[in-house]
Amino acid sequence: MEHQVIVSGIGGQGIQLLCKSLALAATRQGRYAMLAADYGGEMRGGPSQASVVIGDQPLRSLPILPSAGAAILMHHRFGAFAVERLRPDGLLVLNSSIVQPDAANYPGRVISVPVTALAQELGAIQAAGFVMLGAYTQITGIVSAEAIELAMRELLPPYRQQHAETNARAIGLGVRTARELAEVAS
Amino acid sequence: MAELQLLDGCTAATEAAIAAGCRFFAGYPMSPFTGLLESMSRRLPQAGGICINAESEIEGVNMALGAAAAGARAATGSCGQGIALMQEAIAEMALNETPVVVFNMARNQQDYFQCTRGGGWGDYRTITLAPKDVPELVEHTQRLFWLAERYRAPVILYGDPILAQTQVGVRIEPRDYGPLPSRDWILDGSGGGTGKSRQVWTWAMGKVTNPGPGPDGQWRAIAEKFDAVAQAEQQSESYLVDEAEIVIVAFGTAALFVTHVVDELRSEGIRAGVFRPITLWPFPGPALREATRNARMVLVYELNAGQMLDDVRQWAYDRDAIRFIGGVSIHTSGLTYGPLLDARVIRQRVLDAGAETGVTT
Repeated sequence: MEHQVIVSGIGGQGIQLLCKSLALAATRQGRYAMLAADYGGEMRGGPSQASVVIGDQPLRSLPILPSAGAAILMHHRFGAFAVERLRPDGLLVLNSSIVQPDAANYPGRVISVPVTALAQELGAIQAAGFVMLGAYTQITGIVSAEAIELAMRELLPPYRQQHAETNARAIGLGVRTARELAEVAS
Repeated sequence: MAELQLLDGCTAATEAAIAAGCRFFAGYPMSPFTGLLESMSRRLPQAGGICINAESEIEGVNMALGAAAAGARAATGSCGQGIALMQEAIAEMALNETPVVVFNMARNQQDYFQCTRGGGWGDYRTITLAPKDVPELVEHTQRLFWLAERYRAPVILYGDPILAQTQVGVRIEPRDYGPLPSRDWILDGSGGGTGKSRQVWTWAMGKVTNPGPGPDGQWRAIAEKFDAVAQAEQQSESYLVDEAEIVIVAFGTAALFVTHVVDELRSEGIRAGVFRPITLWPFPGPALREATRNARMVLVYELNAGQMLDDVRQWAYDRDAIRFIGGVSIHTSGLTYGPLLDARVIRQRVLDAGAETGVTT
């Protein structure tokens, strides 16, 4: 079974880097990955969406997914495409700092993580995407947090390397938060 | 086995071209082709090659012609809008027999006629491969460099924004397609001073001391060559067409989506199949005829107003069974497909067309 996730938000939230890190982490572990991105010309504020598919065999999923097993909502604006395509037995992880859980109107499993607020606590609101990615990997186990961190470091261009440590802390914070949420839930 | 790399189609095509011996590239940026020019400019110098950002598409294609005539494995590209400007040079390359790979990293499927009919002058055709996904884009790129040299002709890779921009795990390995003819025609200066210097010339007049075949002989030979290519190089894929009541014809990325829909319909008991031309020219007509022999409906899905439709009409077993379910669909940016490229929409169009004739109800 191929792991499919659609990630939706607005430009500036780190959607694209989140998805690239996830796809690259899977590739570095020898798995097949596909990253299909869709974003507007605007740098910030416009629609930003991407999907990632991961599998152990050459992939059969389409670059524009007709349905998906998981979705991440970083912002409610432009989020309809992702939620509409999420299968009823799927998983929705949402950024509850911005998205109201019932606003998504999804009947299946929903996990709320206030990633923007958590990133603000770290003093790096731009790292919200990595808090989310840390949480998502903890929830799904699709790749390890270590693999994500390595991929993130590989993807940062030289002129952005100063953010690597903050991003790494953001990933760790996401993992811990998701673990605590799971403990509370059980 | 080569290592799995996560590459977008432009980067994958670059690596495949280098593996196929490409050492010269010239082009002018235009989305979504720009990614290919960027990755060529980054990678070719590392591989001992040259990449030039030309001042226009016309300059780029003619640089590739010159480099190929001098013996380099050469390529150029653009999207359909820029390749429109290259038509004269493409016709010249076909008629003076210069092997160049032309990448059409198109914005949609509206360049089918441009690729398969061409807009230059003279009796020429261009072999055109249309990959369905990035792994196939890699294989096609490598094969096109071989085909160009095998037939001494310009050849076209018809890509699109989905192929250009989607990142996929691929392995790039050298491929051997068999022996190539001698390159004793290249203008490498080795005949200098011997009285046996060479010409690459569309009119093929030769020299007073060593006359060529001239335009009549040259262009007859070219026409015969393309007749032979038309017979030898047809390629297609038939998927679940035996006993299919509905055969859907689609190429490139669109065919990938159609195949997904057909799998879904089959699981619901609807007897659908896919016919995919892999070479757009030469069009695999006889194979299409065979694949549609038992079909009650032949649906044509392409993201344009109906271009491949002409070829399907020419070859389908029963012309009256043909219905067009594609259309023009462009993203608001103008740079990629609109909402018609979606498995959900395709599925509905197939069901609607089927309901019309009672094949699906």
